Amino acid sequence: MLTYLLRRLLLMIPTLLGITIVVFTVMAMSPGGISAQTLVGGMDMKPQEKQALLEYYNKRYGLDQPAPVQYLRWLNNVSPIGFVTDEHGKRGEFSFNKGMDLGTSFQYGRPVSDILAERIPITLLLNLVTIPFTYLIAIMVGMKSATHRGSVFDVGTSMSMLALWSIPTMLAGVLLLGFFANVQHFHWFPTAGISSREAQDMPFLPHWDEAGFVRGFLLDRVWHLVLPVICLSYGSFAALAKLTRTSILENLHSDYARTARAKGLAENDVLWKHVFRNSLLPLITISAGLLPSLLAGSLIVENIFSINGMGQLAVEAVKGRDRELVLSITWVSGFLTLIGYLIADFCYTLADPRVSYD
Amino acid sequence: MTEHAVSRESFAARIWRKTLDGAGVKVGLAWVALLVFAAVFAPFLANSMPLLMSKNGVISAPVLQYLSIEDTWVLATFFIALAVYRLRLSTAKRILLFLLGSALAAVLVNLFVKPPVLVIYDDFRSPAYTEADWRIMPPIPYAPTDYLRDLGSKGLEAPLATEGHTHLMGTEENGADVLSRMIHACRISLSIGLIASGIALLIGVIVGGLMGYFSGIVDMLGMRLVEIFEDIPTLFLLLTFVAFFGRSLYMMMVIIGVTGWSGYARYVRTEFLKLRKQDYVQAAVASGLPLSSILFRHMLPNGVAPLLVAVSFGVAGAILSEATLSFLGLGVVDAPSWGQMLDQAVKSSTFNWWMAVFPGGAIFMTVFAYNLIGEAFRDAIDPKLSSKAGVNR
Amino acid sequence: MSGPLLEVRNLRTYLQADGREVRAVDDVSFSIPKGETFCLVGESGSGKSVSALSVIRLLPQDVASHPSGEILFNGRDLLKLDDPGIRAVRGSQIAMIFQEPMTSLNPVLTIGEQITEALQLHRPEMSDAEAEQRTIMALEQVQMPQASRRFRDYPHQLSGGQRQRVMIAMALACEPQLLIADEPTTALDVTVQAEILRLMRKLQDDTGMSMLFITHDFGVVAQMAQWVGVMQQGKMVEVGPCSEVLRNPRHSYTQQLLAALPENLVKPASVRPHSQNATDQTPLLQIRDLKVWFPIKKGLLRRTVDYVRAVDEVSLDIPQGQIVALVGESGCGKTTLGRAVLQLESPTSGSIQIQGQELTGLSARELRPLRRKMQIAFQDPQSSLNPRLLIETTLTEPMKVHGIGANHEQRIELAGLLLESVQLKRDFLWRYPHEFSGGQRQRIGLARALTLNPEFIVCDEITSALDVSVQAEILQLLLSIRQQRNLTLLFITHNIGVVEYLSDRTVVMYKGKIVEQGETAQVCGHPQHPYTQKLLEAVPRLSL
Repeated sequence: MLTYLLRRLLLMIPTLLGITIVVFTVMAMSPGGISAQTLVGGMDMKPQEKQALLEYYNKRYGLDQPAPVQYLRWLNNVSPIGFVTDEHGKRGEFSFNKGMDLGTSFQYGRPVSDILAERIPITLLLNLVTIPFTYLIAIMVGMKSATHRGSVFDVGTSMSMLALWSIPTMLAGVLLLGFFANVQHFHWFPTAGISSREAQDMPFLPHWDEAGFVRGFLLDRVWHLVLPVICLSYGSFAALAKLTRTSILENLHSDYARTARAKGLAENDVLWKHVFRNSLLPLITISAGLLPSLLAGSLIVENIFSINGMGQLAVEAVKGRDRELVLSITWVSGFLTLIGYLIADFCYTLADPRVSYD
Repeated sequence: MTEHAVSRESFAARIWRKTLDGAGVKVGLAWVALLVFAAVFAPFLANSMPLLMSKNGVISAPVLQYLSIEDTWVLATFFIALAVYRLRLSTAKRILLFLLGSALAAVLVNLFVKPPVLVIYDDFRSPAYTEADWRIMPPIPYAPTDYLRDLGSKGLEAPLATEGHTHLMGTEENGADVLSRMIHACRISLSIGLIASGIALLIGVIVGGLMGYFSGIVDMLGMRLVEIFEDIPTLFLLLTFVAFFGRSLYMMMVIIGVTGWSGYARYVRTEFLKLRKQDYVQAAVASGLPLSSILFRHMLPNGVAPLLVAVSFGVAGAILSEATLSFLGLGVVDAPSWGQMLDQAVKSSTFNWWMAVFPGGAIFMTVFAYNLIGEAFRDAIDPKLSSKAGVNR
Repeated sequence: MSGPLLEVRNLRTYLQADGREVRAVDDVSFSIPKGETFCLVGESGSGKSVSALSVIRLLPQDVASHPSGEILFNGRDLLKLDDPGIRAVRGSQIAMIFQEPMTSLNPVLTIGEQITEALQLHRPEMSDAEAEQRTIMALEQVQMPQASRRFRDYPHQLSGGQRQRVMIAMALACEPQLLIADEPTTALDVTVQAEILRLMRKLQDDTGMSMLFITHDFGVVAQMAQWVGVMQQGKMVEVGPCSEVLRNPRHSYTQQLLAALPENLVKPASVRPHSQNATDQTPLLQIRDLKVWFPIKKGLLRRTVDYVRAVDEVSLDIPQGQIVALVGESGCGKTTLGRAVLQLESPTSGSIQIQGQELTGLSARELRPLRRKMQIAFQDPQSSLNPRLLIETTLTEPMKVHGIGANHEQRIELAGLLLESVQLKRDFLWRYPHEFSGGQRQRIGLARALTLNPEFIVCDEITSALDVSVQAEILQLLLSIRQQRNLTLLFITHNIGVVEYLSDRTVVMYKGKIVEQGETAQVCGHPQHPYTQKLLEAVPRLSL
């Protein structure tokens, strides 16, 4: 098991490198390339700001160097193992724990690591709430469909699941926002953001005091998250529900289910004690592929609901051609995805005793 | 040729029949047919100029005069496709013929069609065109880029809200008629779907085929490549491409194609590995059949089915990607696009519901249609859960 | 005696399949006395499995219905029981074991959990500790080595034979009065089958239970049953004491079935024109020190730690004009050897010569003309023909590549002749594989192997997936083709009866090595190697 994990971690590295190379290449290949002009051109900045920016980039990358060299210099800065560079950009000695220097974002004027540290937890929160929610509903729906195969529920849900899957995220978001969070129609939910302004001062749990019912931090968060989570989750749970249904049906007709019935088990017990766990296995496998699509979905959802997470950051970074941010976001999301795969694999080994990784 | 009794249905015919069995797929195909119709005949369906008019006894067709190169080529290709479809030739020959035909048409059209460069739509509402003996207008009498300045359009008006002239789906922010833009946008959606998927399919098949055929190092490298493209958040890569490369329609098609091939490669590779072990492929090898025959006659036709399912879903995905990009403000600029119209729904402080419902609905229906078709096709080729009775047979 | 334990009267079971109603069991009656075994025999589609499943009503309710009939168990009609009633019977009074031990056990639960579940379901007052004790006792009863350790094992950690023992232990845990066994040994190797059958007989002696045994193998019937019932297409055509039915079958179908058994087939007078002086003629095929090893890669860097020795230094001569049977149990390497000869698997080392010409190490182009001499026919009728191509294309394409036949018309003519030589109609050329039955597809596979007029054909278990009567036809066809064309055949099989009928020479393989070879009469009559002896002993024979 350990060798397997080690192997996977090692294999992750070339993939991560590959991802960053691809993105860097895209930026380098664009018209104008990575010359000084493109980096500062087109922004309304005062001359001394432009100057400062140019200096900054020159120090980190050496703007007159060819693209591969610039990439390597960036890599060197970012990786925790590498050459230490002093403030003038000169190369120092090799060190094994020099720390990761992700650079400064010129759009925000702050170090990238700070920005990321702020934004990543929010996106993670959104996604980590979405995943169990999606799975729960998908399993419930899928199970009911499978056990009542051919019923009205089954046929109805299968058609509506496909329809649900087809609704573009932005349409759903826009409609949800337009109808449920708007003063024009039903103002049930907040329009934007992930917590109200007073949230920071609120106590955590809901309670009553002299003024009446106080929402509390927890509930406030939840209230803000309802629409975005719905928006993010509906697509995946259509696919998951269908997969659950197929998997359960397959297992209900399997040989071992027949053996269980031959032993005298009631149908309900066959379902829960035998079939259920086996049916979950493909769901675990697919969870690995879920994370990339959720991250992509976050992009849109955060945009619509004005949530300041990583997805929103990505859009702004790209629009602003902020090279530091773009590169960092790339490899962070790649990293998260790969970790997601690893976790999914690990969960699978826990669930299926047949699998042994060597 | 010797005359022989007509055989019962071939494998392909059987799959096709099974696919068409359900109700859903018929709806999907009907919608796609509608889109194709709209895309091909757009200039005749929604235009500010008359289809046919007679003035002082002289009959003229202004629409035909103003047909652009693109319009003409699309029409030509459509008819070539119809013609080729009716010919009884093998599939490969038909595809080849179609490609040749459309290439030839492109050349001819470029040479001979020269529409007037400048089009002023207000002219068509001037007496020169309105005072005629009779005239037949297209069903929707507004061109997609006709901003109705002369009619004092203020933009973003709800359906049927404007006095004087009817806009069945309202107007968008620049004043153009939404329905007209939607019809013309069909072209972009369909072509993006097809071309982007086509590019992705091509790359995927080549990479996947190479991986499956050579195994070993090629396979390992290929898998790393596939993983890289899978792990990059596609949307993000798209955004990066578009932001740094500029926003042209063709660029977008290529980009969506180049970022979406990993799924196809995986499919092809899996099928390849599975097919290589099949007995009839082994028999072909044992008979000393040449490689090209083994690949294209024995393996490819049997492996193509899951690919087609993937393509169907892929086209849906490509259309969604374009719409998303447009929505985020990075799509095509002037040409009508559903995503771009959707973006306008939340731009102003009011919620312009018709900008969300109609274009959004169109995107939804199209994606839904392709998904239905893909599903039906998948169910047809995977007979696993049809009607098992649980008995050992 | 208070009457038979189980009495089935006029049972009908109808199944819904694809919108049509199939009379899977059509007015079947039989009875099983206490302590005795009743065998239900028949070919595929005869309804024997459905009958067994009907007894404990294990068929899905939305698909199966029992319009009429009674199933009396100890006097009670099982068909009239409600759901809790029949569930109380299942597993405790009537138990069932199935054919595929691999998939019949839940892969995510330990075998201990699965057996205790049966116990605690029917004896709810039993404590966990006691259930564990009983389970280990049950495992010991089925002669499972290291029973207490096996308690915590998962099914995939056991071999096929061991899993079947677990199934039996699970079935017997609650001491049922009737055990229904649906082809329990069909998926097992012959030697393992012999052990399991012996075990089942012993258990029956010990516990006095009755058995309803489903099988298609008459040898097994002879070994296990006191009573036998023969089914054909849902109907019971003959019932009676085993010895009588097997020796003097009265119904024509039973007679047909028994006559189709390889041991009863009449071999045509063997005129072997060319192989009389077999010794002084160079063998058609010479295999020397052939190794086909597959590397096992483990560890961080995927280093090769060991090899799967599928074919381990095999040397073999195949004389011209003879049928050589290659026998062995699963995993012995016989299929790999067959494919390696045809260069469908690359040998790791060693030499293969056909008519003196070396085959290993040749490029594809050099190999092509030699491929005309050797062909292969496969086991699985489902996957042996390209489903996209007309039979005509499948047959004429190789001809075209090798330049047989001057033009397309001629090739079609030749293809038609080929079909006729395998006793199929000429206009089958214009159909697709899915329109044919399994037996027909195997014939077409043989026709394809004959297209290039080869001298040598490898038959890789071509009859293993067929019913006994169809198998008989194919075997007889094979003999006549061999006669007409003076073919040399390498017939791979695990069925000793077929070996004795068909082959001139026999080669026995075990774990990648040849343990014995020689003339069939010699090898099968007086086996020298202990493995061969064990193998031959294990085959269930009719004459008992």
